[in-house]
Amino acid sequence: MGNWAVFGDTRTWIFLGNGLLVTMQVALAAIILSMVFGVLLALARLARFPLIHYPAVAYIEGIRALPVFLLIIYVFFASARLGAQLPVEWAVVLALTVYTSAVNAEIVRAGVLSIEKGQVEAARSLGLTYTQMMRYVVLPQALQRMIPPLVSQFITLLKDTSLGTVIGLLELLRRGEIIYRGTYQGRVNNNPIESLLVVSIIYFILCYSLSGLSLRLERKLAVG
Amino acid sequence: MPPDYVGKVVIDNLPLLLEGFWITIWLSILSSLISLVLGTVIGVARIVPFRPLRSFGTVYVEFFRNTPLLIQLFFFYHGLPRAGITFSAFESALWSLAIYHAAYVAEAVRAGIQSIHRGQMEAARSLGFSYLATMRYIILPQAFAIVIPPLGNLFIALLKNTSLASTIAVAELLYQGEVLDSRTFRTFEIFTAVGILYLCLTLPLGGFVNLVERRLARAGRGA
Repeated sequence: MGNWAVFGDTRTWIFLGNGLLVTMQVALAAIILSMVFGVLLALARLARFPLIHYPAVAYIEGIRALPVFLLIIYVFFASARLGAQLPVEWAVVLALTVYTSAVNAEIVRAGVLSIEKGQVEAARSLGLTYTQMMRYVVLPQALQRMIPPLVSQFITLLKDTSLGTVIGLLELLRRGEIIYRGTYQGRVNNNPIESLLVVSIIYFILCYSLSGLSLRLERKLAVG
Repeated sequence: MPPDYVGKVVIDNLPLLLEGFWITIWLSILSSLISLVLGTVIGVARIVPFRPLRSFGTVYVEFFRNTPLLIQLFFFYHGLPRAGITFSAFESALWSLAIYHAAYVAEAVRAGIQSIHRGQMEAARSLGFSYLATMRYIILPQAFAIVIPPLGNLFIALLKNTSLASTIAVAELLYQGEVLDSRTFRTFEIFTAVGILYLCLTLPLGGFVNLVERRLARAGRGA
């Protein structure tokens, strides 16, 4: 049943494990960057000043409506044409950050808007500045409500790192593809079904534990 | 030779891009119809009073929501031929998109069904409706009204994800963009045009979904 021989070899698992590491590094970098820019964009959209508000609206609505894969291709090829070819890791991180920042911004904004007006008024009448109010009153509470949608967006991001395969990023799926296409370690496996199954189980474990983490985090914050 | 003005390459090759544009639309419509049917069946399976079906529904939803679409695409296009089942590139894209998004449709449908008051199911059953008849005539029609906005958003997500079909050479919009780019090296103009064409589809659809969402929210308050 099937051609599993290659998975009896430790080297295959080290090869895939390194791919998993690349996947996680790229995802983590994009998650951190997109959180930072997501919060900034959300605050920009919430701002009243039109020169800040409208560009933020345009960016968020425009970028969210584009395929993330187009952004990856765009960043990769465009940087090549500019003669400043980005390393593939950074091309993927940049494209995922550009896209996910826009999505995160909407999640953050919805979280902030879900805080009752009374709290804002109370904070302002206690003499807190806008920044202090955001930092100490609104954002901590909003954060708890943002966790489920944010984590599901991070899972999407994690899955989207697989698109890096197409531009040659040596992440998990690309390595699975190398195992089943052409020669790998001097032999032809030609076992796409087996290899893709193994790779998808690794993705599954990664993404599924991330959603479990979200539940735990939610409960922890709810108590605190 | 006069220098080309910005965007000339796009104007000259617009027919090719539009060819891809239509394939993108066609692929989106077909696979969303399949995923709608499949997703509804799985969504219902997740709540029927029959454990094996429920477990199947849960496994399906969790598996497909937690693995990348690109793997499923490769599975259809590279994997299944090894088992003697061959799909064309278009069919591979069609089915992998449908199967992947069906998991999300199932979750939306399940949430919709569970938002219908229990009393409705009980009333229908006590009037002599079978379980399936109750679902078909009482629960699902109401649930679908609630589920329209999330389904609309899913359709937009699916439409954007059709761009992955370019990786297996389905001649959709992004693929045509890549073909033009390799032929002309006018990367910025071409991919900007490709992006604008995607926006021509996703922005109006998004606006429409928002409109329906607001209408439904107002109707809900009125009731």
